[in-house]
Amino acid sequence: MSAVADAAVWRLPPRWVLLVALLSIACAEIGGASMARFKVELTRWARERMLARPAVHGLVGVRDVDERILDEALVKFDAGLRLFHMHAEGMGLVIIATTMVAATVARSAPVRRAITVLLTTGGAGYPVGYLLWSALIPSYGPDGAKAIAEWLVWVPFGSATIAALWWLAGLVALRMTGR
Amino acid sequence: MTPMIGRVRRVFGRPEPARSFLRPPSVVSVLTALATTILATTILATIIAPAAAHHVGSYVPRDNAVTTNFKQIKFSVQAKRFDVALQLFEQGAVRAEMRAQAATLPPGLEDGTRAALRASDGLEAERRLMIFFAALARDLAVEADRQLGEPGVTPETRAATGRKFLEAIWRYYNLVDFAVAMRDSKSSVAVRLAFDEAEGYVKPATGGAAPDDPAKARQPIQRIAQVLSTLIETSSTSARRSS
Repeated sequence: MSAVADAAVWRLPPRWVLLVALLSIACAEIGGASMARFKVELTRWARERMLARPAVHGLVGVRDVDERILDEALVKFDAGLRLFHMHAEGMGLVIIATTMVAATVARSAPVRRAITVLLTTGGAGYPVGYLLWSALIPSYGPDGAKAIAEWLVWVPFGSATIAALWWLAGLVALRMTGR
Repeated sequence: MTPMIGRVRRVFGRPEPARSFLRPPSVVSVLTALATTILATTILATIIAPAAAHHVGSYVPRDNAVTTNFKQIKFSVQAKRFDVALQLFEQGAVRAEMRAQAATLPPGLEDGTRAALRASDGLEAERRLMIFFAALARDLAVEADRQLGEPGVTPETRAATGRKFLEAIWRYYNLVDFAVAMRDSKSSVAVRLAFDEAEGYVKPATGGAAPDDPAKARQPIQRIAQVLSTLIETSSTSARRSS
């Protein structure tokens, strides 16, 4: 195949990247299915844990006040699972698409590798933050759990994805201007 | 030659072959579209991200069983469907709660509400329900006052407790404020003013810091309890006289 023909084809990202992306999508599907199948059990578990930690959730011992607090925490617990399902599904596809662009437009091997690693780890790790947030809500409350998920997962993995996307956008721009 | 083809030449140094309409778009045009999308999304995400932080959804407080049942009864009464209203009352959470709270409610409230609905007397049913919700709000105000007065509590906790109680008080009182205002506008204004004042004492200071002295909210909360107690007493007396 000639060099001109080579330039006009998409290059596939490494297999491990595709595997991670597919795994992310599979986890999203399993998460979504489990969420629907075990909704009652999950809600009961979360509620019991919250009732066991009244101080964390600011429960005051009056049903009319506490039910509203528990309801909010349970809605957010459920939202975390839903957001994990949606983000893991979406980011799996984003990983495949963006690493394919990186494999095609990045000529330098180290640059290509770096962008691919950032996109893959960032894209696969970010949705896990929602799962972590959801899992921690019964023990730390919605805000406490959010702070933990933010610093452990969302900020590092989200930053990796954003940095890699900017890098990739810059590379594409360079290719478009012919450099 | 079109500008598009000119751009293609600059990138790859070769002219794009002529297209037949069955041919898929070239890699370059797909790449260009993809690159534009990536760039736009990235810029948008970077701009929006600091303001919205991480998307974690939002919570809209829902009605509880009592407020839901009250609204059902109210709308049925407004539609003059007293048979439906009576059925909703007999089977719903309002009556169950009336029974559960019977010790703190004026005597005969449940029977009076049922009788009013049977007699298709919308105004009387409204008055009875107003008394019931005013009593629920009053009991919450009394408990809020007690908890805010407990020693050894940090201002943050006290403020948070105050906010939660005020929210719960308002959820019940708001349902009957119109009915209260129609019968006793002074009480309605007094409750709303006291509520605003209490809210001011427990809301976070600038920068999210705890308010200086959330215990000050006790005074307006005591006023709420007092005004509602008087309202319940006068409304119950007039209800008994008219029955």
